[in-house]
Amino acid sequence: MLRAPVMPLPPRRSQYGVAPELVRKRAAELPDMVSVLVRDLFPDAAPVIYPGENGLEMIREATRKQMEKVDLSMIKPGDSVNVLGSHHGFTLLGGAPYAEMLRTIRDVVRERTGCTDIRLRVGVGLRFRESEEYIKAFGLDEYYEGKAAGVAPVDEGVAIETEIGTLYGIKRIYDARWIIHAHNSDVREVHFHRQVDRAVKPFGMSYARIETRSTYHQNLGPRAANFVARAIFDSPFVQEKFACAVFLMMSPSGVVGVDADNDLYALNDRVTYLGCRDYGKMMTLLGEIDEAITILDFPSPVPYVFAAGVIFANFAGANRDLFDLDDPLPPYTWYTEAFYGEDGQPLIEGVPPVNPAIKVVIHNYAWGGYPSAFFTEHIPTIVVGREQAELLNRDPQNISYTKHTLLAEDLDTAVRFAKRVAGTDKILAFDGASGALNVSRSLGEYLLQKAPLVSRRVDGELLPKWLKQRGIDPSRFKIC
Amino acid sequence: MRAVTLYAVVDVDKCKGCTRCERVCPVLAIKVENKKAVVDPQNCLGCANCEQRCPEMAITMAPLEQSRVVHESLAEVDMAAVIDLCRRAHLHPKQIICYCTATRAGEVAAAVLRGAKSPEEISRRTGVRTGCKVECIQPVLRLLHAAGIAPERPARGYQWYGLTPTVWDIPEEVKKKYAQRGFYFDEDRKLLDSLVGAGEKGGE
Ligand code: SF4
Ligand code: SF4
Repeated sequence: MLRAPVMPLPPRRSQYGVAPELVRKRAAELPDMVSVLVRDLFPDAAPVIYPGENGLEMIREATRKQMEKVDLSMIKPGDSVNVLGSHHGFTLLGGAPYAEMLRTIRDVVRERTGCTDIRLRVGVGLRFRESEEYIKAFGLDEYYEGKAAGVAPVDEGVAIETEIGTLYGIKRIYDARWIIHAHNSDVREVHFHRQVDRAVKPFGMSYARIETRSTYHQNLGPRAANFVARAIFDSPFVQEKFACAVFLMMSPSGVVGVDADNDLYALNDRVTYLGCRDYGKMMTLLGEIDEAITILDFPSPVPYVFAAGVIFANFAGANRDLFDLDDPLPPYTWYTEAFYGEDGQPLIEGVPPVNPAIKVVIHNYAWGGYPSAFFTEHIPTIVVGREQAELLNRDPQNISYTKHTLLAEDLDTAVRFAKRVAGTDKILAFDGASGALNVSRSLGEYLLQKAPLVSRRVDGELLPKWLKQRGIDPSRFKIC
Repeated sequence: MRAVTLYAVVDVDKCKGCTRCERVCPVLAIKVENKKAVVDPQNCLGCANCEQRCPEMAITMAPLEQSRVVHESLAEVDMAAVIDLCRRAHLHPKQIICYCTATRAGEVAAAVLRGAKSPEEISRRTGVRTGCKVECIQPVLRLLHAAGIAPERPARGYQWYGLTPTVWDIPEEVKKKYAQRGFYFDEDRKLLDSLVGAGEKGGE
């Protein structure tokens, strides 16, 4: 069941990464690399609608079909509507499916309500121009008739009164009569949100000002912080504007559908279930890896590079069950990072170490624009190419990233050296390959052997526990 | 601590004088004069906030001929006062509060004790808020608040809006209402308290 490597998407031109022509070789091109399909690891994985034979037509159809069940009668022809997106959606499968969903939402709203003042507002995290880059790349500005904008958390704010006090949103997110929350169910930073209110989280992140984000990451603790987004969403200010939510439903194999609802919490429960089930299996499997050289090879900042839907930051924490809320502190969150003293030792007991299975990281292609020095301080890292090192050195968020890294001229040299010092030939590439893991043959065989046991453990033991911790009755989804 | 290696350069032909850069600069180092943005290179910490938000793409970041380090020294400060201020803000002096610059609470507390009265002044002295510019405003405001200082917001600026709640402020009825939905308020408060109260390993 080991196959030829799946070629990853090409590098993306962006101010946050090196020019595509400087990425001279991809991990998938290394000798001895193979691919393990998600469906070979987990034969019960949900079928995907994209990628597939009918391409983006499937996304358009699914969005239209799902939106049929949504009430849009509150939107009158003279009203304004902000369709709210987030930059992360565009990192999924090259971004085209998310862009297609955003286009379809506009069409449906226009057809059903007669409303013409429909705008697209796309939030970002720490790379303030990233959404602007995607809007341009996918022609969304034209599609939304010049009314598409990237919004950043330092832009003008608006105070939002909530159950726990005043929090702050971005003014341009809320400057319409109605808002439509257009997001995706990709689990991504489970180390931060712990799959608690995943579908609500953008109200405390992508649509929020720096004060709110800082509250989430500094004021409430690694698990309580998830309440920030709910507090904002539940506020009278947001409720008065909220029309519906439309989500691209993701799994480690690809897009499994589109879901839409006027009730965000009902959608949230479905997102929680699917996320825990599908990503839960993949993360538990990655947690079984005993040793590996990890290659970063995807157009995203260091923690966000993907392997079968799982980001590198979560592999760095895969020595813990990130879904288990009884475990207070994952090996990597900003709370965890804050708890290390200047000597590199934890300030308190119980700070879990970064996944010791990661022997060496090879930074073949990853962006700046996210504080990532934590990773190079904790894991031996080799950066490929001077241009890449220079990019990080110029990044205000990564002034000490290369302090602890080695520099290699090319990928082959880096891999040879890594194998020698790590004493392993197991390689795992975080290259965003779709529906598959690109790995060395030895690791591929290892994963195929471990997967059935992991699958049984998640279905029988872990999934019911994870759902109960989140207030979801497992019997609702026929799990007991 | 912040190593400063870059500074902002304005292309005056492109600048339309919209003042966006002035409103987002965390250290007030860029100002619009006669409808053109002007950078004070002595004070610019190279954070690229202005470059990232200028609607005209009129700003680029250029390397400084000589890099410098911005740092509030803890050498001659009353450490007991630093520890006390941090604890009142529910912070451990050695905990990182700015992930990009690895600035720790103690350094910011020292800046406050030495007279910094606003987030902008604190940023100028420690470099905090000049990396991602997003995540560290609350601990800065918490430390000022704990010192009894109510800073004044830059007029019309977007640098910051206000102090927000902490886990120590969550009303009991909110905790009760959401207890079954995966929000671990009391448990996380306990975790943060254990850090705040952790041994003087961090405080010395
Ligand atoms: S944001 Fe740009 S256009 Fe506006 S004043 Fe500053 S430099 Fe000029
Ligand atoms: S925003 Fe940052 S880069 Fe721009 S002038 Fe201010 S300190 Fe310098």
